[in-house]
Amino acid sequence: MLKIWKLQISLLGIFCAAILVEISIIPSLWAPLRVDFLIGLIIGQVIFIPFYQGFSFVVLASLMMEAFSGARIGLIPLLYVALYLATDLLKEVIYLENVYVQAVLGVLFYFVLAGSTAMITGTSFLGDMIVPLVAGMVLTGLVSPFMARLVGRLQTSYGLREL
Amino acid sequence: MGRHNNRVILLTCSAALILILLSTGQYGATSQGVGYIREGYHVFDKIISAPFVFVADIWSTYIGLVNTSRENRELRLRNDRLKVRSMILDELKSENRRLRAMLDFKEAHRELSLIPANLLSQDITLIFKTAIIDRGSKSGFHVDMPILSPDGVVGKVIAVSPHTSQILLITDPNSAIPAHIESTRVKGIIKGRGGNLLTLEYVRKAEDVKIGDSIVTSGLLNVFPSGLKIGTVVEVRRDVNQMFADIIVKPYVEMDKIEGIFGIAQDMEASD
Repeated sequence: MLKIWKLQISLLGIFCAAILVEISIIPSLWAPLRVDFLIGLIIGQVIFIPFYQGFSFVVLASLMMEAFSGARIGLIPLLYVALYLATDLLKEVIYLENVYVQAVLGVLFYFVLAGSTAMITGTSFLGDMIVPLVAGMVLTGLVSPFMARLVGRLQTSYGLREL
Repeated sequence: MGRHNNRVILLTCSAALILILLSTGQYGATSQGVGYIREGYHVFDKIISAPFVFVADIWSTYIGLVNTSRENRELRLRNDRLKVRSMILDELKSENRRLRAMLDFKEAHRELSLIPANLLSQDITLIFKTAIIDRGSKSGFHVDMPILSPDGVVGKVIAVSPHTSQILLITDPNSAIPAHIESTRVKGIIKGRGGNLLTLEYVRKAEDVKIGDSIVTSGLLNVFPSGLKIGTVVEVRRDVNQMFADIIVKPYVEMDKIEGIFGIAQDMEASD
């Protein structure tokens, strides 16, 4: 049991580092670009971690994200929890362990999150937002399988799963 | 003996004559023979010294190469140092320019009490446009504090902690600032669109709004002092079915490149 929480704390630590990359390093390279690292972690949680633990992780991680966003309180956790539940349902339908499926889900979820946020705030994707949106989708698609795999690797290194 | 003497005399005279002829003759004609001697000496010298020169060449080239390699390494190192120094100087120059602009801005707005701050990070989402700065309540920042840059209005503070503040940029879809057109004083509300542009809303179609008009804060609601530059009109659309004109404004501040910013202290806002 202790190992499981150690794993989750490690994942939260990794997510903190990912937040730093997301809000400081990536915008310093290209200000409008955002890459979502949490989507990959959510996919990894759904594949490798029991539901209740994954759920707690998603709630905690999305609450941490709130601190770095101008979104109304509760909006980001709401979206990510919905995403987690949707992924958990998809687990029964599609083979989530496949790297390509994870990449496609990364792209799709990024678009869904950006689209739903835009819809809630009444913003439309204008000309100058399309390019960063597409770039963000592609990069999130590339990063997601790595993040999902990271969850599995950590689980293995903590001895919670055999290779 | 007499015959022998005659021969000596004859030889001496002949030698003297030759010497006289040589000394009085033209240089080119007379030096030709000497030139052959020099040429001969040169060839001789070359043949004799060739092996020594060869060995000396190899030795000096080798030593030279070692030196060149060392020199090359040193020069490369020096070049790298100079490159880094040049880069630092460029950065210092750019920082100097930025600080000078901030200072000029502060000088030009003596009536406002400005607190400088720097940007730490940007919003984690694509849609919302907020940023975190390195000053918080301990530096006098508070919620609703207007944030400016030397180019114009940046936004306002929406949350503070002791050492950081979160600012809502004017491009955020939740941002709304009372503003007016500088030349005609036509009032409206500047709202963010999520991208890099703004809209000036609630301006009637009949109002005189042209492309290039400057938009400034109107000072209503007592959040932003009046007259602060916001942006310039880049597009005006008038739909017959709409009551208000659709006015697109480009902010003076490039939100992607914000560096040095100021917060306007509370005591000065009250004077607005």
